[in-house]
Amino acid sequence: MSRNLHLSDLNPTLDRRSFLKACTMAAAALGLSSEMVPQIVEAAASPQRPPVVWLHFQECTGCTEALLRASHPDIGRLILDIISLDYHETVMAAAGRQAETCLHDTITKYDGKFVCVVEGAIPTKDGGIYCKIGGRTALSILKEVAPKAAAIIAIGTCATYGGIQAAAPNPTGAVGVNSIIHDKPIVNISGCPPNPINFLGTVLHFLTFKRLPETDSLGRPLFAYGRKIHDHCERRAHFDEGRFVEKFGDEGHKKGYCLYKVGCKGPETYANCPAVRFNDVGVWPVSVGHGCVGCTEPNFWDTMTPFYERLPSVAIPGDRGVVSSAESAGKTILGVAAAAIGVHAAVGIGRRLGKGSSCCAKPAASTQASDDKSKE
Amino acid sequence: MLYEKKEAWSVLLRLYHWAFALSIVCLVVTGLYVHEPWTSTQLEAVRTFPMAYMRYLHFLAGFVFTAALMVRLYLLIFGNRQEKFWNAAPITPSNIVNFFKTILFYLYIGKKDHRLGHNALAFTIYVVVFLLAVCQIITGFYLLYPESVFWQGWGLKLFGTQQQARFLHHIFMWCFMLFAMIHVYLVVWNENVAPEGMISSIFSGDKFVEKS
Repeated sequence: MSRNLHLSDLNPTLDRRSFLKACTMAAAALGLSSEMVPQIVEAAASPQRPPVVWLHFQECTGCTEALLRASHPDIGRLILDIISLDYHETVMAAAGRQAETCLHDTITKYDGKFVCVVEGAIPTKDGGIYCKIGGRTALSILKEVAPKAAAIIAIGTCATYGGIQAAAPNPTGAVGVNSIIHDKPIVNISGCPPNPINFLGTVLHFLTFKRLPETDSLGRPLFAYGRKIHDHCERRAHFDEGRFVEKFGDEGHKKGYCLYKVGCKGPETYANCPAVRFNDVGVWPVSVGHGCVGCTEPNFWDTMTPFYERLPSVAIPGDRGVVSSAESAGKTILGVAAAAIGVHAAVGIGRRLGKGSSCCAKPAASTQASDDKSKE
Repeated sequence: MLYEKKEAWSVLLRLYHWAFALSIVCLVVTGLYVHEPWTSTQLEAVRTFPMAYMRYLHFLAGFVFTAALMVRLYLLIFGNRQEKFWNAAPITPSNIVNFFKTILFYLYIGKKDHRLGHNALAFTIYVVVFLLAVCQIITGFYLLYPESVFWQGWGLKLFGTQQQARFLHHIFMWCFMLFAMIHVYLVVWNENVAPEGMISSIFSGDKFVEKS
């Protein structure tokens, strides 16, 4: 497998090794055992590729970018090889009337069999006039396509929960797919952008088991959104110990300490970023020194901002982290001991001065002993 | 028989003793948990930090332990007569005699060689415990601040790598448990065979000596 983008661009074929690797990666992301890999391979290699209609509404195409520009080139290619992408405004060759025909033909021919992927929010205010494609509103396109789909995959925070369009005051009345379509199985692959591996995993799950993966109550697949960023974060030990970045660029930042105090939303965000990393280059925001902004959570533009301020009421063990708290308490404890020694020494010296004794060592000791006795 | 009340231990020594004793109890309990975090599969969940809190208590107790030892070091030099190093260390002729007499006494052979302060045998063991405590403090801070140049320097020089230091820190803990067991037994034994108010002396500071 080559990570060299130029070379792989010249070679459009997908070799067997890369194909198996991608299937294995997807199986791992889904939390399946290695015994399931052959089944996934079989499903993915099937000549009957499921037709996919990819709808773009209010969005920035970042989700498609993330998917297609994954630096691990095989995944992008696998997506295009294992599914039959019949309609995708960004990547298809057709345009205009030809493209609209393509959409119409697909949903008619594969009625009840195709997978509908939605990218972008749907504006509902004023009859949905704020997003139109080919003279039709996003709302009416979705209402035409969705009922004929076998399943819907909402990709990105816009399609799942409205995203930035739905941020207060939400001028266009933007909503996610599941606010409009209620009678179809919908999986939410949230994130801004979502990790391509989570989309791939969902598709392969659908191909292998003929049903969508199990989801949480926000419709996100549990295999990818089942645990919080905080729980698997590589900087978690620093959180528990109380070693925090106080300011971007400070000493703690250079040392890779916890980003919680500079606004990391990891403790309240469900996603698998720390485990699968991003875009297949082995990094993700926290690993390169930027806190999580909570992009997989509904309304994160409203609830997770300001992005650079700490989340309120997250329990830090020992209030400031165990080492930091123990250290400051320890300083007090050592200080009290030093003070006790000081008082003891001062009393001893004071008494000796008071007695005006100028004797040699031995009687002085006995004086002190009897002094101590009389003290009680 | 007539007894006379005499002050043996200053307030500071008594405070030291209890800070040291209670910190050791806390250190052993939390230290064993850190060594074998047996509850973690039952209690670990969102917003509960059993391991973190055990470590926190361990560190706090460690600071108390260190502070107590500092006080004892001061008292070894500047304390009252019974607390001073020269009073009971088996380096003077009379203390060496007391050392062996005490051994015989403990073997039910001889009579008690009365001292207002420590007997030389006990004091020798205290010196060993003192040195062990210094080792615990150095290994402890070495483990607490693995990145600190100062502690890493001393830790590496004296005890080796983090893992070796951790192992020794654990072994030394058993020495403290052993010491505590023998210490409590002998104090109670002494209280029975030679009544001088030894146990109450560590609360009140006073012992009772036979009037000659």
